[in-house]
Amino acid sequence: MTYPNGKVALADVNVSIQGGDFVFLVGPSGAGKSTFIRLLIREQVPTAGNVRVAGHDLHRMRRGQVPGLRRRIGIVFQDFRLLPNKTVWENVAFALDVTGSPRAIVRQRVPQLLNLVGLHDHAHHLPTQLSGGEQQRTAIARALVHDPAILIADEPTGNLDPVTSWEIIQLLIQINELGTTVLMATHNQEIVNAMRRRVLALEGGQLVRDEAAAAYEREY
Amino acid sequence: MPFVRFIGFSIIRAWQGFWRNAMMSLAATATVILMLVLLSALLIVITGLNSGLEFIESKVAVTAQLEDGLTDAAVATLTREVEAVPGVASVEYVSPAAAMRRLEESYRETGQELDTGGATIRLFASLEISLDDPDASGTVSAELTDDPRVERVLTKQAEYDTLLGIINVIRTVGLVGIGLVGLTVLFMIINTIRIAVYSRANEIEIMRLVGASDSFIRWPFILEGILCGLVGALVTIVLVAVVWDPIQPAMVTIFQMPTAVSARFLTTLSVLLLAVGLGVGALGSWISVRSYLSAAR
Repeated sequence: MTYPNGKVALADVNVSIQGGDFVFLVGPSGAGKSTFIRLLIREQVPTAGNVRVAGHDLHRMRRGQVPGLRRRIGIVFQDFRLLPNKTVWENVAFALDVTGSPRAIVRQRVPQLLNLVGLHDHAHHLPTQLSGGEQQRTAIARALVHDPAILIADEPTGNLDPVTSWEIIQLLIQINELGTTVLMATHNQEIVNAMRRRVLALEGGQLVRDEAAAAYEREY
Repeated sequence: MPFVRFIGFSIIRAWQGFWRNAMMSLAATATVILMLVLLSALLIVITGLNSGLEFIESKVAVTAQLEDGLTDAAVATLTREVEAVPGVASVEYVSPAAAMRRLEESYRETGQELDTGGATIRLFASLEISLDDPDASGTVSAELTDDPRVERVLTKQAEYDTLLGIINVIRTVGLVGIGLVGLTVLFMIINTIRIAVYSRANEIEIMRLVGASDSFIRWPFILEGILCGLVGALVTIVLVAVVWDPIQPAMVTIFQMPTAVSARFLTTLSVLLLAVGLGVGALGSWISVRSYLSAAR
């Protein structure tokens, strides 16, 4: 993947992730993690090579098909990206509203998800009235609202203290156990080492490691 | 049902967007009103002058003042000859005595009495020729000018041409002016919607990430522009309706002609104002959304 300014962000990366996996994506800043994620949600199209997600060939995908792909992929970020003037309920419902879901579905799905992430008591709070962990739970509920096949978490614990981070990881594991594939980009060594899941390590745009049940650093 | 949800969603968001940046939306609406008021004024004046033109056209006539001393038979011959000219609808003979009575009458209408101071005024006998084709005025008058039985030919052609010239100038100047104001309106709406798009950048990003289709992202903004046009058109229609009755006699006074515009034209004008308002709103916001939202994906 080469950007218009000539910078090669990713090169010769061959990765296949099976449905239902829980995978960590690690590497220093600028290694290509963000580009990797952007390719998966087709925010970018690779300049060479091919990306297939949930049965879609992203290279050949028409513009009009992109929204359908995005509904198959939930995504959460380090900075939560909640709408500050909407309540927890409204933030989650927003993802259904803007995709034209019927009201009945909204009334059914939103409480289900708030229960799953443990926020049903905070449904009518604004993001500013929530802790960081609660805001990230709201973001996760929103990401899951279309029942996606894949959940991508880009540094989801980057702004959270260790205890809260673990709570979020527990939630992601729970979601993974319900059948959703989880890809988590992180710098959090402690979590990666404790979890012993598959690790993809990027460095300078190259895939330098792809190991099952691995740690954050290479172990010899 | 999904379509109903889409429409409802778009209208609600357009309404929220309109008031979110109320100053800008109202400024854009004000320029729409300015443009539509100018357009209404131009159309009313031109329609009025056109009906004045029709009035003159219906009166377009050639008056041939006859030489003295023609016999009744000679007059009858001349009348038949003129009636045979193509474009002539009818010919009426006005005797000197009848011309005198008309003159006295016209004085009486202005509240005066014709006072000749005892002198005898002898007026010309004349043929008043009305035409069913205004363009025939030229040929008829040319033929009569050379006729030895005719002293002088008078036509209304000059008056007609002058008014037509004035109408054309007003129409051209008016259209250019409205075109310039229209461009301003377009830029105002483009800018308003651009600001609306920027102020919702976070929402748009989230909409994209959760898989909202392009139409869900765009239509609220396009409707917001249409809303500026709609409100502008409605305000203008109310303004025009309020001043409608007072301006009719005012126009007659200004132009010294029967320039009254029928009330039916008010309906036509309202429909036109709505169409132009909605059109310019939709066009402006469509341009804005097209350039700013496509670039972002």
